[in-house]
Amino acid sequence: MMTDLEWIKAAAMMGAGISVGLAAIGAAIGEGYTAGKANEALSYRPHLIGDILKTMLVGQAVAETAGIFGLVISMLLLFSPMEGKPLLTAWAYIGAGFSMGLSSIGCGVGAGIPAATACQGIGRQPSVSGHLSALMLIGSGVAQSTAIYGFLIALLLLFKSLPPEVTLIPACSLVGAGICMGFGGIGPGIGEGIAAGEAVSSVARNPVTMSLMTRTMLVGQAVTESTGIYSLVIALLLVLTI
Amino acid sequence: MEDLGKIHQLIVPVFGHEMTFNLEIILMTWIVIIGLLFFGYLATRKKRIIPGPIQVLGEIFVDQFYALAEDALGKETAKRYAPLICALFMFLVLSNWLGVIPHLEEPTKDLNTPLSLGVMGFFIAHYAGIKKKGLKAYMKGYFEPIFFMMPLNLIGELAKVVSISFRLFGNIMGGSIIIMVVSYLVYNLLLPPFLNAFFGLFVGTIQAFVFTMLTLVYISVQVN
Repeated sequence: MMTDLEWIKAAAMMGAGISVGLAAIGAAIGEGYTAGKANEALSYRPHLIGDILKTMLVGQAVAETAGIFGLVISMLLLFSPMEGKPLLTAWAYIGAGFSMGLSSIGCGVGAGIPAATACQGIGRQPSVSGHLSALMLIGSGVAQSTAIYGFLIALLLLFKSLPPEVTLIPACSLVGAGICMGFGGIGPGIGEGIAAGEAVSSVARNPVTMSLMTRTMLVGQAVTESTGIYSLVIALLLVLTI
Repeated sequence: MEDLGKIHQLIVPVFGHEMTFNLEIILMTWIVIIGLLFFGYLATRKKRIIPGPIQVLGEIFVDQFYALAEDALGKETAKRYAPLICALFMFLVLSNWLGVIPHLEEPTKDLNTPLSLGVMGFFIAHYAGIKKKGLKAYMKGYFEPIFFMMPLNLIGELAKVVSISFRLFGNIMGGSIIIMVVSYLVYNLLLPPFLNAFFGLFVGTIQAFVFTMLTLVYISVQVN
């Protein structure tokens, strides 16, 4: 027979694997897409190597945030002390892994799209590179919101104090909260990324529309994010009613 | 590895409740504030037409952030909010860089700092919106597109505070946890300086800028 502690440790290992494994998918795709578009822009503007390389690296660092969050949750799962915790913690750990891992997939891809179009845009309009990189940072920052909600739910699941006895209903609602926030985070991340990417490339075409474009992008992203917020509300309800 | 997530706290009982102070974070915040005051003193001590190096640095900060604020808010409103934006960026950038120095920690590593800055930005943005548009037009914004969307619009506004502050907190705390774990795994050889440079200096600067720009953009959405 396995003891409670062994079950919790096993669940922590599994949650850590799910978290960092799934989170790596999106961040890597986004960064690769950015690098590809930067190469494309360099092929016809080789003398802009400094600007394009700088924008590419900054954009990739922002897109990497989702992957770093996955890594942080898996390190917290692996290294936090587990003695004397109730058995229900095992279910919470698996939920935390799903919440962080799945929600990072969309946000990594989404944060990569504006970074890629910013590299292209600098190739098109080198004189507004400052505006383009500021808009790119805002756009990809907002595109990451759902990964941050996933991170919030994962932290709640990790550090919530749980009742000692194990019954099926709280156990399933812990895992369910993780899955709810995780899947809910995929779509809004990619959608907001598309909105931000198109805004950046539109400013590159017509730089005087910068402030109008920023406002429209933010309003559109706020509406896109509403499905992610539904997931956040349901996940919070599931976690906090235990 | 045992000090993962350990915080030195001072707990003071007040009328049956407990007030908790995170002592190290308060100390680090004061170090940042004193550093910034000292920088301000040095930059403006000898103002000249041909500026010294520190005056140039101060002028670059002020110029850049006034330009950004004017782009987002328009000339008149920008005069009011640009000092806030400039100060916010300088505070955050120095906070995020502080962890590079041994024995010092980033104040932004504790959730209390980013969350209070996020709440501050939220209140300033909504105050600016009410002042500019009037209470009635401001309230009407919540009932769009249809009246029963009001609760979700409200939650959406509050979620902005969560996302802006957890973005900064997650990046800085995540960076410091990764530095700690990797340093432990490689016995503090070779890798830690590079990790510090990446997470402390590079990611720290980017995240400080993102936080500042988002605060500015939230104000501009409310104002326009």
